[in-house]
Amino acid sequence: MDPQQNLEGLMALYQQGDLGAATTLIHSISPKLYRFFAAQAISRVEADDLLQETWLRIHNVRHTYRPGEPVIAWFYAIARHVRVDHYRKAMRTTGREREMEESAATAEAPNAGRTDELDALLAPLSSGEREVLEMLKVEGLSLEEVARATSSTVGSVKQKVHRAYKKLRHAFASRKTKTEAPR
Amino acid sequence: MNDREIDELLNGAKLPEGPRAETLDRIAGSIAGSVRPVRPPPPRWMLSGGVALICVTVALAGSAGLGFFGIAKMTSLERLFVFSALGILVLAAAGEMVSAMVPGSRRRFSSGALLAIAGLGFGAVLALCFRDCQTTRFIHAGLVCLAVGLLHAISAGLLGWLVLRRGFAVDAVSAGLAAGTFAGLAGVAMLELHCANFQAAHVLVWHLGVLLVSAGLGALCGWRAANSAARRIDSKRRQSHG
Repeated sequence: MDPQQNLEGLMALYQQGDLGAATTLIHSISPKLYRFFAAQAISRVEADDLLQETWLRIHNVRHTYRPGEPVIAWFYAIARHVRVDHYRKAMRTTGREREMEESAATAEAPNAGRTDELDALLAPLSSGEREVLEMLKVEGLSLEEVARATSSTVGSVKQKVHRAYKKLRHAFASRKTKTEAPR
Repeated sequence: MNDREIDELLNGAKLPEGPRAETLDRIAGSIAGSVRPVRPPPPRWMLSGGVALICVTVALAGSAGLGFFGIAKMTSLERLFVFSALGILVLAAAGEMVSAMVPGSRRRFSSGALLAIAGLGFGAVLALCFRDCQTTRFIHAGLVCLAVGLLHAISAGLLGWLVLRRGFAVDAVSAGLAAGTFAGLAGVAMLELHCANFQAAHVLVWHLGVLLVSAGLGALCGWRAANSAARRIDSKRRQSHG
């Protein structure tokens, strides 16, 4: 059985009230969701909080999963919703959402185990492009799954990926020029 | 640098660490007491069909009460154009409204695109069918149509919400916009059945106005719902921490 079908089977069992299936799902999906949160400049404690909040939300709305549909996209859609709520809360409490979004892309604050390598690589991208590229290339989701997770169309995802690659090509080319210039 | 080299860099990048084992155990422990069987949602076509049926019922019931003057005055060609366009748009809006209420659903177009397609598409059909350029009692007759249309739109929106109340909108503003567009189409359908004022300016401004105002109200409701839900979660969290 392929992993995707296995997850869908576990989700169906979870909906039937199987605690073992729920625990297995928590252990197999959480690393992906955690990385999804960790990709933003947040502390490890915050990433833990968001993960826990996501699972509470998943548990409350588990009846909305329709068996046979891509389960990964369903999980990511809810995780993304939790992350947006987190930003809204930050906006309410600090009134500086824009600053937070900018800092999410560039800050060097203590983080939830993000790697500088991945950060530096994706730094030129907007948060939307970065999110799509991470899901697609780092987490290995398909275009269809990313579109479902971000409540957008496949065409819109393709457009974001195209723009992201264009920016990355441009950024790498200018970096290369800068390093070669002193010689 | 080409796309393949970028792919290789991304694939080779070191990934962030995963969550701690105790975090996962805590999560599993927090839901363990409430794992009970739940009923998955019905198939998408059934929900979309149910929601579309609400639209038809509201439009027909409203016109039955006020009179089918509009459809009676239309020519066969006008009926064909106006109601087939409305039928297609209602089905599309119902489908998108259902998708917006089920996380991870496939979207054919965004809620904004849905509103643009509905507004421009139906506006074009109305402009094609109704060429009378007079503007008799433009404001008074228009306000009456706007009020009656919105009243029916709100009824359709509330009934639609009743059908989809078990759903969960991951983007409440987008879901509200889709629901408002759907409800607006129900209001417009009612007006097309009832209103016998075929002046181009009247139908384009006031009948389409129902669609736009309803969509705006839907998005506003979604925004309010998202904010109040976030506040509820905040206070719950504070209580549990406190």
